[in-house]
Amino acid sequence: MATMSEKPGNIFGATLTRRQFVKTGGVLVVGFSLVGTELLKGDTPKAATMKNSLDPSLPSSWIEIHTDNTILIRTGKTDFGQGSIFTAYRQIVADELGVPFEAITTVVTGDTDRTPDGSGAFDFLGRGTPNIRKVAAYTYQALLDLASERLGVAKDKLSVKDGIVSGGGKSISYGDLVKGQQLKLTIPVKGDLTSIMGLTVEGDPPMKPVSQYSVIGKSFPNSIIASKVAAKETWATDVRPPGMLHARVVHPKTLGSTLVSAGQLDKTKFPNSQVIVKGNLVGVIAPTEWEAIQAAQQVATGTKWTEWKGLPGSAKLYEYLRKEADWTTTSVTKSEATKGNVEPALASSQKKLAATYQLSYMKHAPIGPTMAVADVKLDGTVHIYTHNQNPQELRGEIAMMLRTTPDHVVVHSYPGPGHYGRSNGGNAGAEDEAVILSQAVGKPVRVQWMRADDIQWSTQSAAAFSDVQLAIDEKGKIVAYQVDHYMPPMQDDRPIGAVIAGLPTMPAPDVHNDFITSTVIGISDPWVYAPVPNVMERGHGTFQVGQKASPLAVGLRDHSMRTPVQFQQNFPRELAISEAAALAGADALQFRIDHANEERAIGVLKAVREASGWDTRPSPRPDAVSTGSTLRGRGVSLMFRNGTYWAFVCQIAVTPSTGAIVVEKCTMAVDPGIVMNPAQLKRQVEGGVVMGISNALLEEVTFDESGITQDDWISYPILTMADIPEIKVVLLNNPKIGTYGGGSEAANALAAPAIAAALHDATGKVLRRLPLKPAYVQALLKA
Amino acid sequence: MATITVNGVKREVQVPGDTPLLYVLRNELELIGPQFGCGLAQCGACSVLIDGKEVRSCITSLSDVAPNQGITTLEGLPARWAKQQGLSAEEAKTTLHPVQQAWIEEQTPQCGFCQNGMIIKATELLESNPHPTIGQIKEAFTTSGVSPNLCRCGTYTAIIEAVQYAATIMAKGR
Repeated sequence: MATMSEKPGNIFGATLTRRQFVKTGGVLVVGFSLVGTELLKGDTPKAATMKNSLDPSLPSSWIEIHTDNTILIRTGKTDFGQGSIFTAYRQIVADELGVPFEAITTVVTGDTDRTPDGSGAFDFLGRGTPNIRKVAAYTYQALLDLASERLGVAKDKLSVKDGIVSGGGKSISYGDLVKGQQLKLTIPVKGDLTSIMGLTVEGDPPMKPVSQYSVIGKSFPNSIIASKVAAKETWATDVRPPGMLHARVVHPKTLGSTLVSAGQLDKTKFPNSQVIVKGNLVGVIAPTEWEAIQAAQQVATGTKWTEWKGLPGSAKLYEYLRKEADWTTTSVTKSEATKGNVEPALASSQKKLAATYQLSYMKHAPIGPTMAVADVKLDGTVHIYTHNQNPQELRGEIAMMLRTTPDHVVVHSYPGPGHYGRSNGGNAGAEDEAVILSQAVGKPVRVQWMRADDIQWSTQSAAAFSDVQLAIDEKGKIVAYQVDHYMPPMQDDRPIGAVIAGLPTMPAPDVHNDFITSTVIGISDPWVYAPVPNVMERGHGTFQVGQKASPLAVGLRDHSMRTPVQFQQNFPRELAISEAAALAGADALQFRIDHANEERAIGVLKAVREASGWDTRPSPRPDAVSTGSTLRGRGVSLMFRNGTYWAFVCQIAVTPSTGAIVVEKCTMAVDPGIVMNPAQLKRQVEGGVVMGISNALLEEVTFDESGITQDDWISYPILTMADIPEIKVVLLNNPKIGTYGGGSEAANALAAPAIAAALHDATGKVLRRLPLKPAYVQALLKA
Repeated sequence: MATITVNGVKREVQVPGDTPLLYVLRNELELIGPQFGCGLAQCGACSVLIDGKEVRSCITSLSDVAPNQGITTLEGLPARWAKQQGLSAEEAKTTLHPVQQAWIEEQTPQCGFCQNGMIIKATELLESNPHPTIGQIKEAFTTSGVSPNLCRCGTYTAIIEAVQYAATIMAKGR
């Protein structure tokens, strides 16, 4: 992914005006969607509606108001544990419509034939205006029009409370209002349903002022939790269409091996199994899951592959990236914060830092390996039952693979393990393989990846390195900051089964692709130190490691993972800022305040300072040493993402003899503007912090010249409960901002630079490399 | 054919004896609480209780379970609690196990895929230690089993709080 810009609305062009909103009146039914597109009037930009899709310009495709005053909402987004669909979306719609939270009794999510807008499980709050909010705002206006007509009272004399419209001494409930009635409304939408961003609701309907919010800001529970905990939820893993067969896939021996010959199935042991070969894809299908597993193991041992060695190996990764990767074909980007002239300042200053920061490849590592059930019908219609962050994009990808059109594909969405970005481009791994195998046998097929498949054949968060140079003036201020960020692209959306089978996919990331899958690396970490006079931030892109050399065009495929690209850019910046503070002999937290001018950035820093009991002093601590028993240090980090400011402080203990770091205490302060749902945000932040500590301390993909060498939770460990710190979360509700920023994924990015700064504080030595694994820490302290 | 006792009911299954219990429960008996996480007893997503002990169903063969051993899955926790408390059949139908109640009250899960195992582990812990300290809770979820119970969403803090809350519900009884 190139850059997720902070500027709203810059992807699909201009927004419509209020005047256009009034002009685009059509005639549509709310509650019972019986009216087709032929009744739509006016020049509203709208997406073409295809078979097995809802018409997004119909309000009832989004929101149904029923005669019993209950409300149903639909969103193309799917839930991956954030719960925003079941909490925030209800709250947003409730406030826009003027109904209680409880009135919204049904939330339809993700199914491509039952939801209107597509796009992915990311940016749920839509920079303050998710699609569903605008639709609710439109619907509210239409309901007022209807009530005005019905009650004979001017629209501006009406008020709404708890779904009852009142005015002129009369009142009527929404339920009564929509009985057999029509709303003068069409929903203007724009975009490409099966693209990563899906459809966007256009126009500028009047929205509820923040002062009138009564549902937003309260801690409503996430309704799906109760059904999951009580074993009442149907997960994707539970779907069993009649006649379904179980399958396992024998993936190639290396990330570049092609098939020589598939192993012979031992029919005496596995009489009911069969082997399906499509290109380099080898599938083993059986009536029972256990037989499929065993038969696949047996077939795998006899399957012959070509040898391939096209990766640098993780031990030589950074050397390869620095010296051999192609950084010249992809154009270099500069950030909007770039200003002044860094070179003279860097040349003339006495106190300088010039350092390189390195970040490992990481796995998304969902707790359940990817799986999907596919049912390719005789008429060519494809049904996929899965758990995917972008069902509409998956629909488009499957249609492309089968050389058909998306109207022949229906994706049914169910809960499953968190993917953390891995499937936001429409596939997690098993979906397309299930389709290929179902098509081959004419029956529903369930493909379940094993743990090793999921580690070795899924995408990863790309490795990166950054060169930072900065200079401090005689007053102890940063006078120049320069960074060059280098990393492979983060968004390979090609379905892997289709790639292996040699079927059509979108192209691999390249210089020529659209911005989402481009090799261009933008600057994703907004600069928060505006008073620095000379700033240069550049982004350098290259191709995925090993992909061009792989006969399969595979190599190390990368995909956005929580806070993609910004994670990789914030770590070098924030650790460098802590080092700059040390150079200046200043306290690292106060140093940040002194280099910021944005009130909210300063606000989160002050809040985290107070809540964490931070003692103001320079780093390293006066008694910093790199030997001895247990050493303690503290660090701080700062980030702005999707409208939200984050500041984090942690205290660590490090044992020099082993190199082991334990995070003992930490505090996160968050200012998202309006806090949508305090209890849910607190849980999201706690989870993000834990994942961030795991990323920082443990996570590194290891690979040899042929492929990934990890295959389980022992070889790719994540943080356990014993290793979590005491976590304090400070939520700064800031309603005067007037909107709500993103609330969950960013939390994982703050830990790494703060822990690395804490290591510096404790020992006086800096490890500019993630993860801060014991072996690397030990080596640093011995040096 | 083999007979096993699941959630208080004798069940007959016609699959080979080397079939992992996980697939028997999920595919033959439609008990979907336990999830496939790794198949290697390294994560805990597939956990069930066998005679009150947390066991990884992904590496436990059907033939390893005797007919009279009591298997409890996530689905069976309410009845397990009801029986322990001597609740009537009517009461039992509307009751969740205190651990499940606490998980909902504390809004513990994020994606929830690992939480079957977390709830099973919490039940095992609280049945033997009704008032665990935070240290004991961490020990239970990290070193007491064949592997740590892993959560990728990072809900460990919420799990600790939910275990403590469940302990207070259980102490009050029904």
